[in-house]
Amino acid sequence: MSIIVHDEPRVGPVPPEPTPPAKNYLNVAHTAASWLFTVDHKRIGILYLVSLTFFFTVGGLAAGLVRLNLLAPDGAIMTEDAYNRSFTAHGVVMLFLFLIPSIPAVFGNFFVPMMIGAKDLAFPKLNLASWYVYMVGSGFLVWSVLAGGVDTGWTLYPPYSSRYSTSNVTPGVFGVFITGFSSIMTGLNIMVTVHKMRCPGMTWGRLPLFIWSMYATSFIQLLGTPVVAITLVLLMVERVAGIGIFDPTIGGDPVLYQHLFWFYSHPAVYIMIVPGMGVISEVITCFARKNIFGYKAVAWSSVGIAVVGFMVWAHHMFVAGIAYYSAILFSFLTMLVAVPSAIKVFNWVATLYRGSITFQAPMLFVLAFLVLFTVGGVTGLFLATLGTDIHLHDTYFVVAHFHFVMVGGMVLAYLAALHYWWPKMTGRMYSDFWSRASATIIFVGFFLTFVPQFVLGYHGMPRRYPNYPPEFQVYNVLSTAGASVLGFGYLLPGFYLTLSLFFGEKASANPWSATGLEWVSSSPPPVFNFDRNPVVVCGPYEYAIGVDQLGRGLPEPPGPGSADDPASHDGPTGPAGPMQKETHVVG
Amino acid sequence: MHTPEHKTDGPSTMHDVDNPAAMFVVYLVVLGLAVANILLSTTPLGKSAIYIQLGIASVQAVLVAYYWMHMRRGDTAVTLSAFCSLFFIGIFYLLVFSDIWTRWRMAM
Repeated sequence: MSIIVHDEPRVGPVPPEPTPPAKNYLNVAHTAASWLFTVDHKRIGILYLVSLTFFFTVGGLAAGLVRLNLLAPDGAIMTEDAYNRSFTAHGVVMLFLFLIPSIPAVFGNFFVPMMIGAKDLAFPKLNLASWYVYMVGSGFLVWSVLAGGVDTGWTLYPPYSSRYSTSNVTPGVFGVFITGFSSIMTGLNIMVTVHKMRCPGMTWGRLPLFIWSMYATSFIQLLGTPVVAITLVLLMVERVAGIGIFDPTIGGDPVLYQHLFWFYSHPAVYIMIVPGMGVISEVITCFARKNIFGYKAVAWSSVGIAVVGFMVWAHHMFVAGIAYYSAILFSFLTMLVAVPSAIKVFNWVATLYRGSITFQAPMLFVLAFLVLFTVGGVTGLFLATLGTDIHLHDTYFVVAHFHFVMVGGMVLAYLAALHYWWPKMTGRMYSDFWSRASATIIFVGFFLTFVPQFVLGYHGMPRRYPNYPPEFQVYNVLSTAGASVLGFGYLLPGFYLTLSLFFGEKASANPWSATGLEWVSSSPPPVFNFDRNPVVVCGPYEYAIGVDQLGRGLPEPPGPGSADDPASHDGPTGPAGPMQKETHVVG
Repeated sequence: MHTPEHKTDGPSTMHDVDNPAAMFVVYLVVLGLAVANILLSTTPLGKSAIYIQLGIASVQAVLVAYYWMHMRRGDTAVTLSAFCSLFFIGIFYLLVFSDIWTRWRMAM
């Protein structure tokens, strides 16, 4: 339904600040058992947050070793074998233990029920089980690393991984296999929750775009993860029992492994990035004080990415010996997935247009995302094009492209989400200055790290090589210098967010003056999220008329446009009041 | 969601659960078919072996879906979701075969 709202303001009264309950989800119990056996989705989200932060640090340290070693053409600090194990540890830990679970497990767990007005996820015990399964799988992976590491690269290509590698492939693969079940459990839980537990009035057309993105992600998790699970079982069967499945010397087909692996692992890229896109939609509307431009287009583009993302996997295999005709087909299909991605970017930029933009840390991360993800997406087209991919395949160009999407996109979206929802999760505000500084440093450090890698890759430096010709050294030194800036930027949130827990100003229920249901309850939220069951009466981003999803007015937004800044009250898009212009109300 | 009006094999109640004995029998049948499939690989069936073995595997998959995944009591949305997964498996086969069936024509 579309309602035209004309010039006169229609602002509901601003509700009084809800009285913080004596007991919230954080202080309701303090024992270790109350955390380890909790079925509260918010506490499970926090458990994931702590675990993922640890593994992000481990993966980051491995990346640091790789970059340090590449300071010198012949390897600065480690042997070639140790180098292989380092980049594999970086890839496996970052992908399977951080990027894939990141936003669904932390913010999906925490905020999906709150954003749809539910008390919890549909299957709270399954939710806790998913964390334990994740930790067991992580244990196997950590074991494989501590016992000497894996040297196959995160893609685990046979026949090397199945027949010839003497490293700890078996526990590593087993760990990846187990963590996959955690992903399936989370996806199933979120999908059922969105279907069955929306509060009254929360129609599909009023769902926040973060929920749409989580729904699309769950779809990929449920359909794709079993495929990689069975592929890894087949890999183990060949490695342990010697039955020929992928090794051509015993009757197997190595290209079959790549088909099966990438049928999951390319959609897995969308498991990583689509939730991040949902975060962007939430943050960009809030800090631009604008309704999202093209709600339906952004919502359905998430589903579009989930569907089309399953049809593009063999662009990873253009030089692996697949048929010429098949390669042309996959090249064309890969171009298609750019369409829903571009729809999102165009709509975000259109949302920014004439917005009353303020530059708090979440927004800075989002703006950085827009730039970096666009660069990552456009360079992806180089790789999707059959001719140029022959030249660029398996070079540092691919490494740079992938990191622009996964780090510049996904990690920055994760940080945006962390900064946006931190006051709600913890009840504390963090340092505005240091958070902005961190966002800026990460953005600069990221560019310094990965732009030289585009140049390296274009000039032919292969990925995963510990040695390189001396003429490539300047770019590698630049990249390593950038990595140190990036690492410093990553460390900062660890400090100021931790300090905020002890010294931060207490957060109000809605410190960003946002419209979503999660901001209705106090910060931190009570155990069952809401004091009374919410009834939704309008769309998720009614910044133009200045109401939340319950139809109530919004508190004064933060930033230079707030309180004593009269400029903010004068303009047609001033953040303090409704926009004096025509707008569409979704729903 | 299971409700009494959904189609079932027999009379259904609000708390209808599967009979453990029936589930165990289905388990044994699936195991038996797995053994049969392995034994078939040792017989000289030639080119027809692949079709017979895939047929047996399909029967196993249907048994698992119908009994263990409760498809026999699934409502329309659940059934639709299950067939949706078949659609994606179909995409997988189609696109993999686009490689395998045309690979002989021209190597890259």
